[in-house]
Amino acid sequence: MDSRRRLVRVGSILSVPILWFVASRFGLLAGLPAPVEVVDTYVAELYRDDFWISTIRSTIRVLASFVIAAVIAIPLGLLIGRYTVFADLTFPALEMLRPIPPIAWIPFTILVLPAAELSIMFITFLGAFFPILLNTIQGARGVEVEYSRAAQSLGADSYQTFRHVIYPSALPAIHAGMIVGMGLAWVNLIAAEMVAGGTGLGFLTWSAYTSGSYPTIIVGIITIGILGAASSMLVRMIGHWQVDWATEQPA
Amino acid sequence: MSKHDSTTDDSTTAGPTPETTGKTGAIDINDLTKIYDPEGEHVVAVQDMDLSVGAEEFVALLGPSGCGKSTVLECIAGYLDPTDGEVLVDGNRVSKPDPKRGVVFQENRLFPWKTIKENVEFGPRMHDSIEEGRAESILDEMGLDGFEEAYPSGLSGGMQQRAELARLLANDPDIMLMDEPFSALDALTKEIMQKKLLEVWERDNRTVLFITHDVEEAILLADRVVVMTARPGQVKDVIDVDIERPRDPEVVTTDRFTELRERALSVIREEAERALEQEDGA
Repeated sequence: MDSRRRLVRVGSILSVPILWFVASRFGLLAGLPAPVEVVDTYVAELYRDDFWISTIRSTIRVLASFVIAAVIAIPLGLLIGRYTVFADLTFPALEMLRPIPPIAWIPFTILVLPAAELSIMFITFLGAFFPILLNTIQGARGVEVEYSRAAQSLGADSYQTFRHVIYPSALPAIHAGMIVGMGLAWVNLIAAEMVAGGTGLGFLTWSAYTSGSYPTIIVGIITIGILGAASSMLVRMIGHWQVDWATEQPA
Repeated sequence: MSKHDSTTDDSTTAGPTPETTGKTGAIDINDLTKIYDPEGEHVVAVQDMDLSVGAEEFVALLGPSGCGKSTVLECIAGYLDPTDGEVLVDGNRVSKPDPKRGVVFQENRLFPWKTIKENVEFGPRMHDSIEEGRAESILDEMGLDGFEEAYPSGLSGGMQQRAELARLLANDPDIMLMDEPFSALDALTKEIMQKKLLEVWERDNRTVLFITHDVEEAILLADRVVVMTARPGQVKDVIDVDIERPRDPEVVTTDRFTELRERALSVIREEAERALEQEDGA
């Protein structure tokens, strides 16, 4: 990337705190705390156990729900994508549930599931599950028939064809689904934490609102943003590492 | 002979068998008909085709595009079930793909997610028969040493095609089914590949069925050139290529080559015209 583009990008990032500073300095948005105030509050939060417990709780919830979603959605998606019988058996039911916004499940799951923790995890799971499932199905269906044929003519049985051809060839699509899924997992987690209460960054941000602590609300937002970006990056890195063959350029 | 033999691979019917000839890789196509019927369109790709390819013979299948050449190959490979008739290999009816019948596709079908070496070792790995150093020596023979760890996307078209040939040879098939393998290559690369293929075939005793629409390529490579009719595909003419081996690309300048080419071209021209008339009539 040339230096001019880099400069423009840095400018883009800097514009956010600058606009924020201007808005708070001239009172454009009533109640918006000044950046300095938020930095002070952030430093203070870093010394509080509650902040760290919330951060760690939220991170664990997202990662655990995401991993469970991937572990179920990827094999399920591959099977649905490759076997018509399996698709007919499961896909219509899943398609019926998919349009329901995960947040709509919150009251029901709080009532039905034995712990609020499970309810939050389930909502988070749903956010990651469907994007990963749909992308995996698409990836598995998109495998060109010649690759399976080539594998069979080299002596691969149907399991080996699945393992060495269908799965790797669907991987780029699976990773695209995982990136979207990770984003939606955070969205759903925060919403669920705000409603279900207890712990977590969603709850921390919401309780800052109810106690009128404006700077803490911004601290919550920034922390959620940083963790969201970091986890997307993690998924991207895993993706690049696993499908490095797709990025190699011709010699 | 029963057209609908319900038993599969192990059913022994007519045709030469390894027991009688001592060679493997004979193909017998009996009364082969393949009809595609997507949403009632009813396309007869191949109709009542008969063809025998001897073990270790090199046969080129030549014909205008859309004449069902690839359909025939796909039936022999075991990818398609014939609508009628049957394909026998060494006396056994073909019902599914088999590593004894290797296929080279027109566009390279190396697995892009595996390195060149992993691609070449794919077949042996599937039946646990990897020999240390064998992939390297085959790649070396194909002029691909140093590219073991590269991914297919890092290779040129000609190198990819050589790698695919290497993958096939590593699996040691009796029969090599090749569907216009060199048609996407530039003239020079194509010539190198043809030479390489002849070298390998003259040494290794394999049956080759080579599909092409290039008359010169067919005559240069094959023992017999089978010219197919326009759709529905059938055998129109069989031309014995009585040019001595080993052959090299220079033979195209000989009188005998020119004669054979003229003969093949006139048959093809006739078929191409008939195909055009068919279209006009439709």
